[in-house]
Amino acid sequence: MTTMTVRERGSMWSYRSLIWNFAQRDLKARFKGTALGWLWSLVVPIATLLIYSVVFSTIFRAKPPDFGSGRTGNFTVWLLAGLTAWTMFAGSLNTAIGALLGAGPLLKKIYFPPYTPVLGSVLALLIQSMIELGIFLVVLAALDNISWTWLLVPFWLVLFAVFISSISMALAVLNVHFRDLAHIIGVAIQLLFYMSPIIYPMTLLGNAHKMGIPVAKIIAANPLTQFIEVFRDLTYGLTPGPPLAWLYILVWALAMAWVARRVYRARALDLSEEL
Amino acid sequence: MTDPAVRVVGVSKKFTLHTEKRNSLKERLVRGRSRTDGDFWALRDISFDVPRGTTFGLIGHNGSGKSTMLKLLAGVHRPTSGSVITDGRVSALLELGAGFHGELTGRENVHLNGSILGLSRRQIDESMEKIIDFADIGEFIDAPVKVYSSGMYVRLGFSIAVTVDPEILIVDEIIAVGDEEFQRKCFDYMFELRKRGTTVVLVTHSMGLVQDLCDQAVWLDHGRVQRIGESRDVVQGYLDLVNDKEAESRPEPSEVTGSHARLGSGEVRIESVEYLDGAGNVSPVLLCGEPATFRVHYRAAERVKDVMFGLGFQHESGVNVAGPNSGSGPAPVTNLLGEGVVEFQVPRLTLQPGVYEVSAAAVHRGHTFDYVDRGYELRVRGNSNAEPGLTRMFGEWTAGTSSPVRIDDEVANV
Repeated sequence: MTTMTVRERGSMWSYRSLIWNFAQRDLKARFKGTALGWLWSLVVPIATLLIYSVVFSTIFRAKPPDFGSGRTGNFTVWLLAGLTAWTMFAGSLNTAIGALLGAGPLLKKIYFPPYTPVLGSVLALLIQSMIELGIFLVVLAALDNISWTWLLVPFWLVLFAVFISSISMALAVLNVHFRDLAHIIGVAIQLLFYMSPIIYPMTLLGNAHKMGIPVAKIIAANPLTQFIEVFRDLTYGLTPGPPLAWLYILVWALAMAWVARRVYRARALDLSEEL
Repeated sequence: MTDPAVRVVGVSKKFTLHTEKRNSLKERLVRGRSRTDGDFWALRDISFDVPRGTTFGLIGHNGSGKSTMLKLLAGVHRPTSGSVITDGRVSALLELGAGFHGELTGRENVHLNGSILGLSRRQIDESMEKIIDFADIGEFIDAPVKVYSSGMYVRLGFSIAVTVDPEILIVDEIIAVGDEEFQRKCFDYMFELRKRGTTVVLVTHSMGLVQDLCDQAVWLDHGRVQRIGESRDVVQGYLDLVNDKEAESRPEPSEVTGSHARLGSGEVRIESVEYLDGAGNVSPVLLCGEPATFRVHYRAAERVKDVMFGLGFQHESGVNVAGPNSGSGPAPVTNLLGEGVVEFQVPRLTLQPGVYEVSAAAVHRGHTFDYVDRGYELRVRGNSNAEPGLTRMFGEWTAGTSSPVRIDDEVANV
């Protein structure tokens, strides 16, 4: 005998097929009707990679650290590590922030947990990023830069996924209430890009100050910095990464999950009236 | 089981009205938190139980809170206070095909919609053939839904929703879509669900549907329960009120409402036509099956002889239903001068509920004194027991005696 309100049914696990269906919808709809289809998910990052490579290694003559295997560093490969992680983050935020507004007509007609379209969007982007990640790992393997530290990548990925989906969730919910959040996030993402060691190594910063602002410290405190650094350590540098950095990203992932839960509880349950 | 399938306990729902949307940060910063410009209580303290396996109707005029109630039952909104408890798998049909994504094919949309309704992948695959069959859209199932006709769209949506095999089905007024054949299919399906013991909650404006389909009904009025009980009683109460209200608010019936040409030489003018109900009171609305009188006021400018009066009743669908005239009986008026009335009485109004345009004429052997073509409006209301057609045949059904027949006797006789 189950007596409850319609809404109390089912855990997040029981909604997995719905999340998966939303993800599939995103993936299918994204490339439908385009001539290159799925290839676009590769063309864009490759183009970005080439542009940054040319600009920073040729014009600014940035010098990348050496590979973990001892081979002389290659800027393009080193950049790819940072860009791969960055694309997961920025791409998810950009698509997920509108997920609830997009699902609005549906949410007004039928009940399902509002987290499902958001998580679906994030999942779709993570799946797309897996292709990029795969290519990156293949390149590394081809360069014979491979070690047991790769086995830690899945753990890193889980933390990163929790971090990303939590932020996406909170922003998607808030975006329904404050529609201009999407524009603010667009600018914030741009700022974050330069506040993370993607196109420059942390070593380049030293102890940089600018007008009394401890720029290097701020950048190091950026959780994305630590996520990217750990990922680079695991794949490019072939070291397990400093334990403190792992702890740092773990705490951030959990903290964001907690925040997302708070926001969801407070704001997401009457969304059907706001949409 | 005696437990109700749906239990609504003291439910109220408040919506906050913003005179202007304050959804942007700037608005918030500039003007501060939006003052609540006024709360609107869509529902107040509603309680009812829907017994398991019954069909339950929600009726009321527009804005009475029916749809809000439905959304609360479906879980789309949360009640402000009170609780909605459902026992069983709920499937809500608030809008067909609401979740379709234009770029995806019908098949892909079935998967998406099915999982929103709580079906597993396997269940969807298993029922895919049934869905395609029921929706009757053929090979279009593999075309993107953006190329669907609106009928196909709706049919596919309905097919998915009913395939869920719900224990509790919540239906908004959606049956009124699709072509005749599909509508019939939907009705058949609803009856079948009912037979199977599915609990159905239905919102509709069709009183006939409520009486045909529903066991019980609740009548909501401005967010409060007006009446609750057997659907027949509730519908009756509702119709009585609607009829009364309409009688109050209709314009004077004698006014010429039509815009059709008026013909005739004008020696006799028809001034107005009035309707009198069974009690002899002038009323803009007449009830089917009740005595009625049509009173025609005329004014004759000069003395005229052998005037024949006629009335014409045209249904809103354009069909001429009746055209009684005084020529066929003993002519009531032979000599006229000045003002007067002629009356046409019927012991029982046979016109079915609907809107009719009434014409009136005064003629003399093929010469038209006055002819008001569809100049007046008549509204006929029914009490209940809707029958099809434009007129009602009053009669009685009786059963003859029957005697048992033995098949082998018959065979032996042959």
